[in-house]
Amino acid sequence: MLNIDQGALTENKLAGVRSLYDRHAAKLLGYIFDMVKDRKLAEEYLVKIFCEVSNQFDDMGWDGSWCQLQRFAKHKLMVFVDTAKYTDLGNEEALTLQHSRGAYVGQLTKEQKHIFSEVYYYGKTIAAISIDLDKTEDSIRKTLKEAFAIMRKSGEN
Amino acid sequence: MKIREYIESGILEAYVLGSASEAETQELMYLKELHPQIQSALYHLEVDIERMAESMAIQPPPDVWFKIENDISELVKRPAAEQLSVTSRPRKERGGRKKEYIDVDSKSSHMRVHKMWRWIIIAIFILGKVFLAFAIFFYLENRQIKEEISDLKSELKQLKTEIKK
Repeated sequence: MLNIDQGALTENKLAGVRSLYDRHAAKLLGYIFDMVKDRKLAEEYLVKIFCEVSNQFDDMGWDGSWCQLQRFAKHKLMVFVDTAKYTDLGNEEALTLQHSRGAYVGQLTKEQKHIFSEVYYYGKTIAAISIDLDKTEDSIRKTLKEAFAIMRKSGEN
Repeated sequence: MKIREYIESGILEAYVLGSASEAETQELMYLKELHPQIQSALYHLEVDIERMAESMAIQPPPDVWFKIENDISELVKRPAAEQLSVTSRPRKERGGRKKEYIDVDSKSSHMRVHKMWRWIIIAIFILGKVFLAFAIFFYLENRQIKEEISDLKSELKQLKTEIKK
């Protein structure tokens, strides 16, 4: 009886993970690829992240949204990936390479790109960026908001 | 608190991108329940982020899901292996020296072995086949030689009888 229940629970969990995978795997692979810039490695991390999703499926209270999965993946990638290796490439060339596939970031200024990249890909906090750039947290948040507004507009066009 | 200003401050963007502090997140969760404008702004931001991610999506190859499914199945099986209870019980040997025995109690009838054993077993199997082929070859060779010897013996006998005549 216990085995049957456990089997059913596993099946449910697997179905839940599959549903998340069907909806978001392509987006997540694109996101990871932009971070590690290696297709094979990105696929390996994708597998690892979905295994972690399965591990914490009952505890996380998944709402199925992309943002929740993306935040979860970002935190896991902080553990898996040596992010310092990639954040050190904070020059213009690296940023161009990173966003070369996305039309959204084309119109951002260098600073907006940098702040967006630090937050979106490397999970840096506003406080940490404000120290790095020697600016107030409010101004960093404002720049992030502006970057978002520009990207939103370019996405609508 | 001026809600418009709060929304314009960029906190929502920081939260959606996962870089808001714990205090900011808690404040936002609280205010979200009180103000539908914040809830709506947050929802629109999430939609925008998703749209942006969609534009940069890469379709994973079909075997990726099978790998995930396989890994999840392995992870599910693992707790069963953790049911193994290992106890150590000291026993006295003839000389009075204590020796520790480890009792492994498992309900599972399966055993996990290192992947390296797969190649060892394949090598043993192939070597077994090679030895079998050699054994058959030498057996046939030996039989043929024996037949030839018996033929020669009979010929020799015949020659002997002819000479006697």
